[in-house]
Amino acid sequence: MVTLLGVASNFFYFLKIFQAVPQAIIPWINLILPALGALLLIIGLARAFGQSQIYRGKIWGSIVAVLSVLLFAASVWGFVQSRAVPRSAGAPQVGQRVPDFTLPDVNGQPVSLGQLFASPAGGAPPKAVLLIFYRGYW
Amino acid sequence: MDEPAVSANLCHKAGYTFTFLSDTKAEVIRRYDLLHVGGGIDGHDISRPAEFLVDPSGVVHWENFTEDIRVRPRAEQLLAAARNIQ
Repeated sequence: MVTLLGVASNFFYFLKIFQAVPQAIIPWINLILPALGALLLIIGLARAFGQSQIYRGKIWGSIVAVLSVLLFAASVWGFVQSRAVPRSAGAPQVGQRVPDFTLPDVNGQPVSLGQLFASPAGGAPPKAVLLIFYRGYW
Repeated sequence: MDEPAVSANLCHKAGYTFTFLSDTKAEVIRRYDLLHVGGGIDGHDISRPAEFLVDPSGVVHWENFTEDIRVRPRAEQLLAAARNIQ
């Protein structure tokens, strides 16, 4: 019987290009899936072409191989892009004073850094303010 | 860098109650040297991720600059830094 097992293994290639790693573990985990995919691809192609009596699928295998290589390239590119962060050598360091600012809040009202330290209604003033520069897309 | 209206929508959907500011021209982002030129979709400029814990005199007590945009500080990290402030 014709078995496409070798070529079918190429389809188990799930790709996650932009995966926010929710842990402090280095994001090299993101390369594990594409690496596994590449391995399965090689095994699948070896079976399809090397043992074509048992495993059919040279045409499908080639098509999937091209797609898989493209996906692999895309995931590597995504990985590299995620780490292409500017040095920000001029950013305020610990012990330095941060630049002042006044920016509009969600209601368009101007808010200054000083205002962030103002006491909330009926409460004590905050001991610190956390400024989060959140790069993201909604 | 989103407009206030866009941020308002996000805060509403996500249930954020903290102050959310808009730096649409990236003026403050630049002042803090956090601009990532062409780093956004379609090659737009965007801020790189960064966090600063600042005391009332404006001095930085703790900060974080990630090397990978997918890795951000967790709440425990931020809370631990905040607890160190006397």
